[in-house]
Amino acid sequence: MFRRTSLAAAALLAAAALTLTACAGPSSPVASTAGPADPDATVSVRLVLEPTNLDIRETSGAALDQILIDNVYQGLVSRTPQQEIVPALASDWTVSDDGLTYQFTLRDGVTFHDGQELTAQDVVWSLTQHRDTASWIDASTLAGVTGITADGQTITLTLAGPDSQLLWNLTGRAGVVLKEGDTVDYKTAANGTGPFTLDNWTQGASITLARSDSYWGEPAAAAEVAFEYIPDNQAALNAAQAGELDVVTGFDANLKDQIEANGDFALSIGASTDKGTLAFNQTSGPLADKRVRQAIRQAIDHDAIVEALGAGETLYGPIPSLDPGYEDLSDVAPYDPDAATQLLADAGAEDTELTLTIPNFYPTTIAQLLVSDLNAVGVTLTVNSVDFSTWLQDVYTNRDFDLSFVLHTEARDFQNWANPEYYFTYANPEVTDLYAQSRAATSDDEADSLLAEAARIVSEDAAADWLYNGASVAAVSTQVSGMPADNLNERLNVAELSKSAG
Amino acid sequence: MIRYALTRLALLIVGLAVASAIIFLALRVLPGDIAQMIAGTQSTPEQVAALRDRLGLDQPLLAQYLEWIGGVLRGDLGTSLVTGTPVASELWQKAQVTVPLGALGLLIALAVAGPLGVVSALRRGRAGGTAIGVTAQALAAVPTVWAGMMLVVVFAVWLGWLPAQGFPRAGWSDPAAAFRSLLLPALTIGVVEGAMLLRFVRSATLQAVGQDYVRTAAATGLTRTKALIRHGLPNVGLSVVSVLGLQIAGIIVGAVVIEQLFALPGIGRMLVEDVGRRDLPKVQGELLALTGFVLIIGFVVDLVHRAIDPRQRESS
Repeated sequence: MFRRTSLAAAALLAAAALTLTACAGPSSPVASTAGPADPDATVSVRLVLEPTNLDIRETSGAALDQILIDNVYQGLVSRTPQQEIVPALASDWTVSDDGLTYQFTLRDGVTFHDGQELTAQDVVWSLTQHRDTASWIDASTLAGVTGITADGQTITLTLAGPDSQLLWNLTGRAGVVLKEGDTVDYKTAANGTGPFTLDNWTQGASITLARSDSYWGEPAAAAEVAFEYIPDNQAALNAAQAGELDVVTGFDANLKDQIEANGDFALSIGASTDKGTLAFNQTSGPLADKRVRQAIRQAIDHDAIVEALGAGETLYGPIPSLDPGYEDLSDVAPYDPDAATQLLADAGAEDTELTLTIPNFYPTTIAQLLVSDLNAVGVTLTVNSVDFSTWLQDVYTNRDFDLSFVLHTEARDFQNWANPEYYFTYANPEVTDLYAQSRAATSDDEADSLLAEAARIVSEDAAADWLYNGASVAAVSTQVSGMPADNLNERLNVAELSKSAG
Repeated sequence: MIRYALTRLALLIVGLAVASAIIFLALRVLPGDIAQMIAGTQSTPEQVAALRDRLGLDQPLLAQYLEWIGGVLRGDLGTSLVTGTPVASELWQKAQVTVPLGALGLLIALAVAGPLGVVSALRRGRAGGTAIGVTAQALAAVPTVWAGMMLVVVFAVWLGWLPAQGFPRAGWSDPAAAFRSLLLPALTIGVVEGAMLLRFVRSATLQAVGQDYVRTAAATGLTRTKALIRHGLPNVGLSVVSVLGLQIAGIIVGAVVIEQLFALPGIGRMLVEDVGRRDLPKVQGELLALTGFVLIIGFVVDLVHRAIDPRQRESS
């Protein structure tokens, strides 16, 4: 589940070749030498991927979540960059022991940006509408919610069965609270309850958020945050050096020395849930044989890939370290070309020829490393570089591929391994069952350990290979403080972002 | 002349009709579709199919084409399926960046190429002329991206005189800021296009020098340079006009690179994005408008040529 953030992540990925291997676990925001924050400042932030329109209900793409959720729109609950679930429009909540009833206490005195008051009925309407409108993004994640009611400021959700992912899902699209009967044109405008209002959108260039003076919580630190959409890395570096940008996300770590040379910027490297996924089409052909898939995994030098990228860490299973259920699975497919050659011989697949279908915005380094690693064990790899629309049709829709590389950036997307219909072409009833059990678990510990168990099976089946777990790389001006470091592609809460006057 | 203009106009209309069909069909050959792009990778095939149905993408090709072309004839270039904005208003928006950018680039190119081209022709064989010729040859070979980068590094990063990228949010309501943000990209276009134009001006001038009427004028007592300026240059100008038509088309194509490099919200960048997300109704409208623009420029250039060149008038 990566949506079009893969594009944004492509730029992150371009952060190649630098000895910045330190990326274990969440890192704190860049220390700032900034003076006192200027409350009237505009902070400009470079982003890579512009949303196609602003309709949070129907348009997919993490480019929307990235800037709108938390900043403009809010739900009952939210999540931190470290993926912790925290209160938002609900000041607190309780979950019944059987996991079937969720009660949220809605805050008082919340208004929408147009001045209308937030009522409990708005919440009920939003969640109901979201569950019942199939074309709204993530509608299916609320399918198990049978009752949505309000009594005073108490919102009660009742479920047919326990759902360990419900709170998490409410931190995302499914939980966004809109005003009932609002007439705003959602494609080009927004009316939320967050610390920022949508001030200006110049299509193809920038989106500006302005501090909301009627915000119910701590007001935003900066008067304005301007998101400048600059796909080209060099153009972004130039703009930063010319003093036109305060933060450059998706920064190329190759250029660390250049950006830090005069002391105006410092590099921030955070964790992310980006998973560089090498999918195997295992429905037929040589890849239907588990030995061949395992051989490919063991032929790939994952450390070399991480080193070439300059940031990130290795990953040997479907769950990244920021997500629940993570465990180190490096023992499942250690780098061992000899073992790989042997496995291929056992499978009678010594002179195998395979094609790698890869969207063209990823750095060529990845394909090159794969070609040489596989060549070393006798597998000939042909690289088929295509644009993303073509990838969607050939690989995602038609399953017409041998190997495919895409960066899956979304957090907690294990369900794709439990779904035999997904383009991964992986079907194991045991995994599907374990995932269902994990969803139905009533304690987090139980849910997480079931997920970990399922993830190990997926890895042991060599359902795919995971080339690396990406990093969030950003260049942050030393005038700026409050910039989050982790998972910037997914969600970028800029309420605390500020700039000093000096 | 009127007969010629009418024939030429008919040719223009046929050209547009053919172009519209080619644009429409060529885009249908691209793999991938807009419904899948909107729905994203968490969608089920049923959801994508429903979306396709809602967007009218499962209609027969001919029906889609006729609906589009019918709209165009009524002055409606269509609406983006992705952003929901009318193509015409988007084009108008982006043209406010691209057209001034191209015009400014062309002006710079002409200002460089005109005088220097003539001088280098007149000084042919001498150090100055050779130097100009060689420099132009070298500059014409410079990739636009590299030229732009160098200009940015010098004028934006080192000297800090001009913005490195972007266009002011206020647009042309702050003309000074808008102009400043276009200066470096226009200079990039100007340098590269100018170098190409220079070589053309040079050879046209050299040709004019050898013409009988210049020699005759020189025989009446004018210096060779004066004879050329008085009698030769109008003809050089004439042939430059016809090259300019091509040059403008080239600049529009070049805008894709320039706008990407300078993060300018112009037509070139918009086109690339729209093709990438398979927003075909929008791409169609944009391409048709651009093709129309180039064809009309060709039409005007031909008419102007005809009107001012006595030789062509006689031959008709």
